[in-house]
Amino acid sequence: MQMNINLRAWTVPAALLAFWWTLTAAGWVDTRLIVPPGNVLRVAGTTLIDPVFWQAVLFSAARDVSGFASGALGGIALGVLLGTSRWAERLIGPTFHALRQISLFAWLPLLSTWLGYGEGAKLVFIALSTLYPVTLGAFEGVRAVTRHHAEVARVYCFTRQQILFRLILPAAAPQIATGLTLGLVSAWVATIGSEFLLANWGNGLGNIIIKGRAAFNVELIIVGMLAIGIVGSLLNHVAARIERRALHWQPRH
Amino acid sequence: MAHAGTLEIKNLSKHYRVKGRPLAVLDDVSLAIRPGEFVSIVGASGCGKSTLLRLLIGLEGDYQGEILLDGQRVAGTSLDRGIVFQEHRLFPWLTVEQNVAVGVLNAPGGQAEKRTSVQEHIELVGLKGFETAYPHQLSGGMSQRVAIARALVSRPEVLLLDEPFGALDALTRSHLQQELERIWRAEGITAILVTHDVEEAVALGDRVVIMQPRPGRIKRIVDVPLPRPRERGSLAFTAIKDDVLGEFAPAPRSALKSPSIERRPPALDWQFSY
Amino acid sequence: MTVASHDAPVLAWESPPPLPQQRWVAAARTALRIAAQGLGRTTSGLVLPLLVLALWTTASQRRWVPEQLLPAPALVWQTLQELWTSGDLILHLGYSASRVGWSLGIGGSIGLALGFGLALSRTMRAYLLPSFNVISQFPVLGWVPLLIIFAGIDEALKISAISIAVVVPVTLNTLRGLENIPPALLEVGKVYRFSPPQLLWRVLLPAAAPSLFTGLRQAVMQAWVSLVFVELLASSEGVGYLIVWGRQLAQPDLVAAGMIVIGAIGLLLDGGLGRLERRLQSWRRPAY
Repeated sequence: MQMNINLRAWTVPAALLAFWWTLTAAGWVDTRLIVPPGNVLRVAGTTLIDPVFWQAVLFSAARDVSGFASGALGGIALGVLLGTSRWAERLIGPTFHALRQISLFAWLPLLSTWLGYGEGAKLVFIALSTLYPVTLGAFEGVRAVTRHHAEVARVYCFTRQQILFRLILPAAAPQIATGLTLGLVSAWVATIGSEFLLANWGNGLGNIIIKGRAAFNVELIIVGMLAIGIVGSLLNHVAARIERRALHWQPRH
Repeated sequence: MAHAGTLEIKNLSKHYRVKGRPLAVLDDVSLAIRPGEFVSIVGASGCGKSTLLRLLIGLEGDYQGEILLDGQRVAGTSLDRGIVFQEHRLFPWLTVEQNVAVGVLNAPGGQAEKRTSVQEHIELVGLKGFETAYPHQLSGGMSQRVAIARALVSRPEVLLLDEPFGALDALTRSHLQQELERIWRAEGITAILVTHDVEEAVALGDRVVIMQPRPGRIKRIVDVPLPRPRERGSLAFTAIKDDVLGEFAPAPRSALKSPSIERRPPALDWQFSY
Repeated sequence: MTVASHDAPVLAWESPPPLPQQRWVAAARTALRIAAQGLGRTTSGLVLPLLVLALWTTASQRRWVPEQLLPAPALVWQTLQELWTSGDLILHLGYSASRVGWSLGIGGSIGLALGFGLALSRTMRAYLLPSFNVISQFPVLGWVPLLIIFAGIDEALKISAISIAVVVPVTLNTLRGLENIPPALLEVGKVYRFSPPQLLWRVLLPAAAPSLFTGLRQAVMQAWVSLVFVELLASSEGVGYLIVWGRQLAQPDLVAAGMIVIGAIGLLLDGGLGRLERRLQSWRRPAY
């Protein structure tokens, strides 16, 4: 039964692939637009051995990770602040929730006005995209700390530092992990998006696709898209792995 | 061996403000506890016994009267006083060993010393071999034992227990009661147990403090001069238990006269039916 | 301290009672806290925005930052008014709204159909679910360059891109909602011999409604995000376009005005949907 199901999962992609190949081989469509799969494979081959491509992947990934890291740290700090301090939540909370309504990409033109089209603007944008999910996750996590555990911390005379690092952060870890996962997805979307919209002919996967578009090289665009998808999935996989190891103390349902 | 503390409670009163009006929870409670003694406090719900314990551990403040440990006024929490709650309140992200180590986190002394104490206390509560287990892998009784180890690891002078076995099933409860007595004797500290189970109170305490509710006051203190380990089936035990239970009956009853059973001459019991 | 112990926040930074030296720091904190409580939630929430506004006005008046970067708040307000009175705002909003509307319709229907199909038919699930899982992880904006090649940069592109963004949350939430229906409810349907339409209308839809609604909310937010992206990238009308236009004309007041409009719409959408959700689901009793 297992084998059957796995085979069935492949039938649809296989069928689509076959359909695609037939379309182009029989010449029913304009092959400049709907390029034959063979061509895509060929271009993929040349791209994969091209060091410029790998450089671009590395650049995008590096941007993603640094933006994500700063956004995540800021988000955890902000979330913990909003969760523990009632007046911080009252003063900053409403503004935070209101600003969150501004759709992510709407910030880009403003950022580009202030910071130009370079690395700075992109990094700030990626950090911003990470900030919101992570802050919300950390906030939820802090709220989830039970009064019972907080009293135990008082009974054992925890210092403020100990309360933060030995009670709040571990107790909030599951929710923070969820926030970080969502933040990671947002960060990758923001990375690629900022490379599209803040195009400065620099380095990155987004730029490769722009080049493809400019040269009407559809194969390159497809290869670029596949690369985006694969790198995104890889990042998510790694994140899920790390999350599982860090939360190994949780009971498995 | 931990040093057993002397606890004195003098004219302790506490009230909360509910909708602007004061609600007295404890009213003029006075109690002197000898070092190394085991005191049980019984009372129905609402008699303030948990509040009393929270005041003793320092989780609540703002009271009138005095609480003195070895002559020093009690202010806030401290490692001199340990507590076991009804819920085990272990940190789910720490192993058994790490949870017990929380108890000595802020204690004076070296790392090696602390590690020894942690290991000793894990053995004391009978959980040797479970050091690397996580709370979700333990049963309720085992988790509560970890909580007891955590409370004792810094060698406090007083151990407070707030209905520690209330959440456990009857079999585990009676087993842990015996364990608690053994641990108390091994550590040689002062212990105060709050419970609503009269049998538990009489089985474990040197004295049973009976509290009455609204406002919380000490109604009576009953001595339990029975040898340990206590035989729960013995006449003396049952008499004292009935004595304490009698305080909770709706109509006031005087204390039983003596544990002996009076026997009426059988002849007087006969009656002819016509 | 006269603050009753009940009211102490769960994670009190200060454990009672405070040391004498820290007493007046604690008093200051208490005063601030009482002020915040006394002010009420809305008012205290306004403190920060008002501070920022004051700072902004001073900064632009004193030209701490050049005008091309920081528009004067008064100018932004004026721009907003002009947009409103000239009818431009409504015009652009209309474009954006129609795009979102069409996409919700198309994407929503596909998503619902897909979700129902995947939930009800095991064969469909075996064939389609793995592929769907893979594709759904791919960010929407990755599709855009390809779509531009095929569909140009007019309405078709935008609606198809936003529809893709809508399909994923709708399908996932529909699927999850239907899967989580307790079998006990379905058995009731079987016992009373419900016909398929009856089963659908009386059991499936109400039971899955919360998840469907969550799907709708997520879809709307995703649609809005994708809309802005697509309009920034390749459009000549719409609220996103307003921002780009302001950027290109080096008119930061227009940029700011556009952002405010987008934020306001987002607030209305999310808030309105949230309220609607609460009304429709009054029969649920949440745990908290």
